[in-house]
Amino acid sequence: MNKVPKIAIRDVCKRFGTLTVLDGVSLDVHQSEVVCLIGASGSGKSTLLRCINFLEAYDAGEIRIDGHLMGYVDAAQKQRRPMSDRMLRQARRDIGFVFQQFNLWPHMSVIQNVMEPLLRVRGLSAEVAVKRGEVALDRVGLTDKRNSYPLRLSGGQQQRVAIARALAMEPSLMLFDEPTSSLDPELVGEVLQVMKGLAAEGMTMVVVTHEMGFAAHVADRVAFLDRGRIIDVGPSQQVLHESKEARVQQFLQTYHDRTNF
Amino acid sequence: MNMLQTLWHYAPLLLSGAGVTLWTWLLGSVLGLAIGASVALLRRLPVRPLQWVLRIYIEIIRGTPFLLQLFLLYSGGPSIGIRLSALTAGVVCLGVHAGAYFAEVFRAGFEGLPKGQIEAASSFGMTSFQILYRISLPTMLVAIFPSIVSILISLSKETVILSIITVPNLMYQVQSMTVETYSAFSGIAALAVFYWVFVECVARFSALIEYRLTLFARRDSAEVRA
Amino acid sequence: MQFGVIIDAFPYLLQASIATIGYTASGIVVGAALAIVVCAARFANSILFQRAALAYVSFCRGVPLLVMLMLIFYLLPLIGILVPASVSAVLALGLCTSGYLAEMLRGSLTAIPRGQAEAAQAFGMTGIDTWRRVLLPQAIRTCLPQVIGEFIALMKASSLISVIGISELTRVSMNIAADTYRPLEAYIGAGIFYLAINLCLAGLGTLAERHFSRGIIA
Repeated sequence: MNKVPKIAIRDVCKRFGTLTVLDGVSLDVHQSEVVCLIGASGSGKSTLLRCINFLEAYDAGEIRIDGHLMGYVDAAQKQRRPMSDRMLRQARRDIGFVFQQFNLWPHMSVIQNVMEPLLRVRGLSAEVAVKRGEVALDRVGLTDKRNSYPLRLSGGQQQRVAIARALAMEPSLMLFDEPTSSLDPELVGEVLQVMKGLAAEGMTMVVVTHEMGFAAHVADRVAFLDRGRIIDVGPSQQVLHESKEARVQQFLQTYHDRTNF
Repeated sequence: MNMLQTLWHYAPLLLSGAGVTLWTWLLGSVLGLAIGASVALLRRLPVRPLQWVLRIYIEIIRGTPFLLQLFLLYSGGPSIGIRLSALTAGVVCLGVHAGAYFAEVFRAGFEGLPKGQIEAASSFGMTSFQILYRISLPTMLVAIFPSIVSILISLSKETVILSIITVPNLMYQVQSMTVETYSAFSGIAALAVFYWVFVECVARFSALIEYRLTLFARRDSAEVRA
Repeated sequence: MQFGVIIDAFPYLLQASIATIGYTASGIVVGAALAIVVCAARFANSILFQRAALAYVSFCRGVPLLVMLMLIFYLLPLIGILVPASVSAVLALGLCTSGYLAEMLRGSLTAIPRGQAEAAQAFGMTGIDTWRRVLLPQAIRTCLPQVIGEFIALMKASSLISVIGISELTRVSMNIAADTYRPLEAYIGAGIFYLAINLCLAGLGTLAERHFSRGIIA
């Protein structure tokens, strides 16, 4: 492919003290592609996702979004400096991030949560922000909850609000960090349904998940991480069913043993 | 003279006493909040000696009686060149005293900041200042509100003690009235009832505010108006 | 500053400290006894008892100690009870602290799972026995750390009984200040003793917490 990838990750490393969490990860994500990151906990998949919008600073390598280096001022690797806060904010506002713990702001109502970034970051007027917020809530099917406070909603509803909040910013790319992992099993479906809808509309998405069904049916490609490295990557069917890597087979086997009783 | 006449006769004195009580309470609270907030902020600086000094300030103030601190400043102060009027000494002492308690409350507030919510805000590209006044401060203030109110209530009761160093507050005026009229008990009883009602009102009012502030955390109550 | 003053005053301050601890402990004992009664009234079936207990707690917590002290100091002779100032002092301390102690006890009692009282009743234990053998012993243990906190607070507040002439730590330091004309040193000396008592009590609190929490907090 000649086109510049939406996200280009090259040899990214990340250390926490003496612990190496990412050990030379490379991955391209193209426009409108859905990529799932899977792997055991502690394999570095969440850290990789957080590095993409620089919630976590990577130590070495490059992450480029639309060709622009993320988090650092473009320079040779040795003397590069972190971006100014201003540039970082600029870079982040087109990337939607959905957290495992939703991280809604509990002191604001649902509609206020969705409007907040529009007002503060996009600088929209209240009228425009309300309209956009309502459109976003409609997309996740929560128009009737617009005036509720987040803590009164179910986990699934809260996560859908969080997705609406990210969507309202009209991001060109969305990152999901285990969006269904803190939900009761019966609430997982409603969130995955919304994400599936986004994928169908052509949103570029990177999803850290344990939902193999979602990975199999919605993702274009799956990357399997193990101890800070991508050890297998490819079309989802290929990785999930025909992987030659022993670690991948073993992981999927335990997963199947658990879900199929 | 019956009770009513006595009260009427002393009304101007009692009113001025009540004014002094209220005034010292307000000034002491404002001073205390300012000191407490500054100390809590300074304690976050990575300067070891400064942290020790502030820690010692907090421990000493919280470990000794208010009356002793008052004597130390008012009677002990002049021997190191600090000469304050009773009123000034009283207000300064109230502020310094409350400051140590407020500092601990603010520290706990900082420690309880919602990390994930702040991260979410920065993922949208909100500025540090926007995050501070839209996310951090509101949640922190809601969380520490009850502790702040309970310190304010304690402080209102401490103001009584200023009468011992002759600050002409309500307690002082009631005592001088009882000395002149030889009816010590009724004056003090009225003062007790006054404080009881005052503290109860402040407590109820703050409970009301707290209820409003934490509406968002109640699953049972109705939706808000947008 | 002449630290000699503090050193000379040391024996007097030490003695006064013991008085301070004694008055505080007496106050806590009186307060605890009142608190148990008040707490029982709050859990009573009679609305009247509940209301009275509620009003009592709010009164004790609303009236400043100095006012309470004066109230009792003047009230007792008025109703014909002539007692030494020290008794008035202990009563005032006890009244002031009883409101707080009652609330602590109530908190601990409500934290005990309902099932325990039900189990006692299922065995045919009387209401009083259920209280005496099952509920109170647990509640007293779980609120002990808070009670030690209250002890420390009352110890500091007890400096106010100096105004009715009780010779405890603050009063003695006032006397020393007057005798030596060195108020700064005298009050710093008293402060050191207050801090020392505070430290001991806090240490005791940690020990007690560790001792009594066995078997209750997993």
